[in-house]
Amino acid sequence: MTDASAGSEPRARARPVLSASAVVRTFGASVALDGVDLELHAGEVVGLVGANGAGKSTLVAILSGALAPTSGTVSIDGSPVRLSGPEDAAAAGIATVQQDVDAALAPDLSVAENLVLDRITRGELGFLPSRRTIERAARELVGDGFTLPLRTPVSRLRTAQKQQLLIARALGRGARVLFLDEPTAALSITEQRALHDQVRRLAAEGTAVVYITHHLGELTAVSDRVVALRDGRIVGRFAAPLDPAPIAAAILGSLAGPVRRPPRTGTAGESVLRARGVVPLLGRPGFDLELRRGEVVGITGLLGSGKTELLRQLVGADALLAGTLELDGRAFRPRHPSDAIAAGIGFVPEDRRSGAEFPDWDLAQNASLADLRRHSRFGLLDRRSELRGARELIEALRIKAPGPSAPLSSLSGGNRQKVVVARWLAARSRVLVLDEPFRGVDLAARADLARLVRSDTVESALVASSDPEEILEVADRVLILSDGRLVAEVRPDEVDEESLARLMVAGLDAPAGRTA
Amino acid sequence: MTVADRARDLVYRYGLLVLLLALIVFFASTEPAFGTVRNVLVVLQAVAITAIVALGVTISLTVGGFDLSIGSIVSFVVMVTTVAQVYFGLPAWVAVLLGLAAGALIGLINGLLVVLARVPDLLATLGTMFVFAGFALVPTAGQSVAAGATFNGEPAPGRIGPDFLWLGRGSVLGVPVPVLLMIVLGVVVSVLLARSRPGRLLAAVGSNPEAARLSGVHVGRVKVLAYVASGTLASVGGVLLAARLGRGDVSAGSPYLVETVAAALIGFAVLGANRPNGFGTIVGAVFVGVLINGLTMQNVPYYWQDLIKGALLVGALILSFSAIFRKDRT
Repeated sequence: MTDASAGSEPRARARPVLSASAVVRTFGASVALDGVDLELHAGEVVGLVGANGAGKSTLVAILSGALAPTSGTVSIDGSPVRLSGPEDAAAAGIATVQQDVDAALAPDLSVAENLVLDRITRGELGFLPSRRTIERAARELVGDGFTLPLRTPVSRLRTAQKQQLLIARALGRGARVLFLDEPTAALSITEQRALHDQVRRLAAEGTAVVYITHHLGELTAVSDRVVALRDGRIVGRFAAPLDPAPIAAAILGSLAGPVRRPPRTGTAGESVLRARGVVPLLGRPGFDLELRRGEVVGITGLLGSGKTELLRQLVGADALLAGTLELDGRAFRPRHPSDAIAAGIGFVPEDRRSGAEFPDWDLAQNASLADLRRHSRFGLLDRRSELRGARELIEALRIKAPGPSAPLSSLSGGNRQKVVVARWLAARSRVLVLDEPFRGVDLAARADLARLVRSDTVESALVASSDPEEILEVADRVLILSDGRLVAEVRPDEVDEESLARLMVAGLDAPAGRTA
Repeated sequence: MTVADRARDLVYRYGLLVLLLALIVFFASTEPAFGTVRNVLVVLQAVAITAIVALGVTISLTVGGFDLSIGSIVSFVVMVTTVAQVYFGLPAWVAVLLGLAAGALIGLINGLLVVLARVPDLLATLGTMFVFAGFALVPTAGQSVAAGATFNGEPAPGRIGPDFLWLGRGSVLGVPVPVLLMIVLGVVVSVLLARSRPGRLLAAVGSNPEAARLSGVHVGRVKVLAYVASGTLASVGGVLLAARLGRGDVSAGSPYLVETVAAALIGFAVLGANRPNGFGTIVGAVFVGVLINGLTMQNVPYYWQDLIKGALLVGALILSFSAIFRKDRT
């Protein structure tokens, strides 16, 4: 591990724009940050990595004024400051673009209105400013390089465009330090590349950018240097040339292990789930899909390619648009998710928070929901049996939690995802249908989940992900969707991440599509 | 956990019970008649009906719904049971069954409006609240019902029988029947909500309906059942109220909306449950009852009651919705 001291870094002689020194933050009895030193200099992109719960969010919250440190100091241009909130931070030139871009925007207002929202609400543009005034102020703020149409309501923008808007707004307000929290989680490959270009440009113009992501590929591509956190401490500082392997080792600590298992050749048995003539989106040509016993089938494609729409039809979450389904060779027509569950199919939706979690419930209750009958005695729930079941699942999935009665909201993203998957293991589901199961999940948890999906505990699985790295890691076969059509089917040993990413994009250039 | 956190936690857990105890001690020391066995029974009898109706509110709150029509259901059932006996000379048990069926039916209508017609719950039950408050007036042309009332120009044939009155006025081993029913139904609802599969499914729908659906819960069915349960429990309250009054007073049920909602919301805070729960609701109902009875004995005029109840409801809303007593979620 290259634990280079700050003194050896090239920019160390210049005064850092923003720095943290010996920052400690505790929540009750738990220590989120345990003495962190970090210096951010003008014109550099610093990649920040760590498993969920490593302390990234806490560090960003402290540096951006959303949270006060328990001890230690935050300094701007070398002088200690006490930031008392995001407004304070913004005034000092520190801006954050959160992963949830919608939280920072007013959807019914236009791009221009969102850009100068602070000035409108402060009355600086006058009482009831005209559209022309607002648009002039917005143009002044962002300059001519800003390409989004000013009059479009924000609700019609794509995620990448909303991000562009937020970045432009932050920079227009004079941000010198920009935090980007998992900015590419909802972006397509091309949009990701465009964002990376923009980040490099910003740095060249003198902004300090902190880039937070779980994806090592992205991190090494965009960062000048990388800081890895684990358990509230900085466990590694890496300078260019950046190599993903030691970074992964630093994040994972002793947990690191080979995720990729050799593909199970020839082990796939008889057909479990077969779909004929299904369409993810209306008006597209139908295609067939087969999931065999002992097989993990991956579905990939850009945002909007129809992965989610397809999976939701297979599990009865949405009505089947076209075609027929067969389960174990018999006709299968789920009208409600309960039909699929009764048939042994467990579904983990794309948006875990809104579609799977009961945050105010404890871990055991979250895990047992689809399996309550087994914990019932004489019509009443047997809490001890429920807790026992949860303890087994905690052990089997290596869920990091104080215990089965810990509230779900107290767990990190990766562990919450494990609990959601555990619900279907508890319900003895034979087939798992997982939509973006690794999103917002740290590397260690992702490795655990991938191992589980490929283990004998799960008979077969259908996994959708827009991340080539993830899908190649977990699947035996990969179907590539584009605009609701099946454009190709590949095996992981035939392609690498680059060529798979190219296939995902290529589908758009040739809408007629290739058939698999 | 800091001292401040611990103190806040203690206040949240036991504050309400301590406050209730303090109220009782205060009233008993300033007004000797308050602490008598007789008055305790009077309070409990008044509380029993509120508590039973509030248990229904607790169930609708559990699925994340809200039932504004319960006061009207109580009024409507009071009229149904007394009209059945006085105007039509039906036996007491038939009147009771008709009353319960009426409550269940209104609950079903509420549920279907919310689930099938997709009307927001507050608006749907606001509508049925007016419809059934109005329905309660129609059969008697707005008159109250008692033995000897005129019906179609002639004296009504029936009267309210002693069996029926026993439900509201009788007692078993010294415990008034409504109080007994309150205890039984309180235990049943508490166990149902906290310790049974249906209760867990109700809570799942209330906590995250989409996640519940994807976990195989039939969200619509569960919601309809919750409203039917709410309506049925309100109708039990209506039957008991008619039996206690011994006559069909129009609009007798209208005070119950504010009292029961306050009781159920106060129940959120009992023992730090932070969610609708049967035991808390009963404590909440006792709280409301003690306060009203005690203040009446302090010679606070009756016309102050609505104001006090309203203020109590606002207090209960703050208690259950504001972040003051929530645990730090960061």
